[in-house]
Amino acid sequence: MKKLEIYEPAMCCSTGVCGVDVDTTLVQFAADLQWVAEQGVEVARYNLSQQPQAFAANQDVVKEMDAGMDRLPVVAVDGHIVSSGIYPSRSQLMQKLALMPETTAQTVAVPAIESACCKPNSGCC
Amino acid sequence: MGLPALDTRYLFFTGKGGVGKTSLSCATGIALAESGKRVLVVSTDPASNLDEVLGVTLSSTPTPIPEVAGLFALNIDPEVSARDYRERMVSPYRGVLPPAAIQSMEEQFSGACTVEIAAFDEFSALIGHPEKTRDFDHVVFDTAPTGHTLRLLSLPSAWNGFIESSTSGASCLGPLAGLEKQRALYAATVAQLADARQTSVVLVSRADLSALREAERASRELGALGILNQVLVVNGLFQAGTSADAIANAMARRMEEALAAMPEILATLPRFETPFMPKGMVGIAALRALSEPDSGSPAPDAISAPPDLPGFNRLVNDLEKAGHGVIMTMGKGGVGKTTIAAAIATELAQRGHSVLLSTTDPAAHVAATIESPVEGLSVSRIDPAAEVEKYRQEVLEKTANSLDANAMAMLEEDLRSPCTEEIAVFRAFAKTVEAGKRAFVVLDTAPTGHTILLLDAAEAYHREVMRMQGDMPDSVRRLLPRLRDTDFTRVIIVTLAEATPVHEAERLQNDLVRAGIKPYAWAINQSVLASGTHDPLLAERGQYEIPFIRKVAGELSPRCVLIPWLAEPPVGSKGLAQIAGAVA
Repeated sequence: MKKLEIYEPAMCCSTGVCGVDVDTTLVQFAADLQWVAEQGVEVARYNLSQQPQAFAANQDVVKEMDAGMDRLPVVAVDGHIVSSGIYPSRSQLMQKLALMPETTAQTVAVPAIESACCKPNSGCC
Repeated sequence: MGLPALDTRYLFFTGKGGVGKTSLSCATGIALAESGKRVLVVSTDPASNLDEVLGVTLSSTPTPIPEVAGLFALNIDPEVSARDYRERMVSPYRGVLPPAAIQSMEEQFSGACTVEIAAFDEFSALIGHPEKTRDFDHVVFDTAPTGHTLRLLSLPSAWNGFIESSTSGASCLGPLAGLEKQRALYAATVAQLADARQTSVVLVSRADLSALREAERASRELGALGILNQVLVVNGLFQAGTSADAIANAMARRMEEALAAMPEILATLPRFETPFMPKGMVGIAALRALSEPDSGSPAPDAISAPPDLPGFNRLVNDLEKAGHGVIMTMGKGGVGKTTIAAAIATELAQRGHSVLLSTTDPAAHVAATIESPVEGLSVSRIDPAAEVEKYRQEVLEKTANSLDANAMAMLEEDLRSPCTEEIAVFRAFAKTVEAGKRAFVVLDTAPTGHTILLLDAAEAYHREVMRMQGDMPDSVRRLLPRLRDTDFTRVIIVTLAEATPVHEAERLQNDLVRAGIKPYAWAINQSVLASGTHDPLLAERGQYEIPFIRKVAGELSPRCVLIPWLAEPPVGSKGLAQIAGAVA
């Protein structure tokens, strides 16, 4: 079984509603991860403020953070980093996991413009 | 008049800041102890002065109160607990993770939510471990968890974030990460609160609409969670004596009217009333007087004049000089932000300026009150409830089909958090501030320093990281630098000459300064000292205000005005004109 791990910046609400605008990317991402899990992939989502031990345990991720906190979120498949600095779309996730699309799956467009929300260094909550 | 005679093991006092929770919980504790019970009074309010009130140095373990046999007290500062908790979570990673990561983690544990959770953690520790309070017949708490906290804690999805394979991500209860083992304990605590045989909730209010509204909200939220064993105490009820002057009569009448207009949900609760006490409730003797009214105090020998402070007109003169810009009044609910904002706006308009007054006052009260239109003054409303609803609809529309039931429940609860209301109002507020380029804009609301930092960080993130503007409206993006520009924006902090309001206003100020905004002035509102009353009880209250006025004028504010309590309510152009005309 493949393993997908997401290392995310410290945030206090997964939906970003406590920011200036709800972050549709985050909300969509949550749904996409749900779908990926349903395809039989083991999904683990680590938040810097809640599961720091996961970050500390992965030297590659620490190296990314050294290069800049904006490298988060870092996405890893089976322990290898496949992307940094963005939330992949469902099709990007599928590609990286070599998943076949469901025949009934909708193509989900990640909004090109991101809204502000509970981003790193925002002291929300 | 009198305190409720409650016999449940746990008693929780709840109410907005300054209504008298600490005084009443202590007075209740004393009464119970003096009836032969062993009582523990617990404070988990960072602003509480339990030590001072009881006259004993307290700690986080029960300390006996020498003057009252059977009475013990303990004081927990949730801000200290939150700090300890933050350190516990972060310190293992210093040196392991980059400094920027550490800083980011620390900030997540620095918000008000963390303090609220830490306070709840302390409650649970006491309630959930009966052996800690085994020696006591009653445990009395001078604060209670909010409905929001309790609801969040009962959402299953709130806890899922901590299971390794979760896909639901972070939750507003992020800070709970290290407390996961406590889940069962928290569930037991919430159940305990709802058990009417074990727990009573005392809603503390004053005879004023603002406090009553707050009590109503608490009553409803707690009731929705099954916490139904509630009573209402109206504290500080003033009754004018036979020789009362105009001020005293007006005050008594105003209180009667507020009680008559009490929200229905409160009107059905068992109600108790405690008298107006001119001095702060400090010391056992003063607290005993709450349960034994009519002790009668002699008239003070001399009534000192209020400290010499500039009047309201001087403040407006200074504000006028810029010719345009934004003036914001800030302060906790009920201190008079709307009144002061309206007074400033009408005065500026009457001096010939173009003024937009924007208010969050419900029911268009202010707009209605300025009946005869003042030339140059236009009034607009920001309705917080409508803004939140608008924002909520927007969010739900965007997310309608993409979330499962659990995630949806989480989102809905996030939308009920106080943060959301602030954001929704902030967006409306930002649009209004735009007008300050050409005219005077007076607002009776302002974002807290916390919100500003949050938005600032979001903005910085966008500028540096995303390299795109995002959906943030222009008005919001320009807002932040404007708020920090003291030539463009003047913040006036409004408070009362009482302990808790001054304390709360000080914290508001510190929060703003942290966000790079330096308040321009303070207005001490509703001063009984400055009212000119000769009523003995009220005159005594006036004397009690002096140290607080001195503190504000001397230490906390760069400039300060004193606004008297007015017999005729400052409502309507004529009513408001009293403020400009009044000599402090």
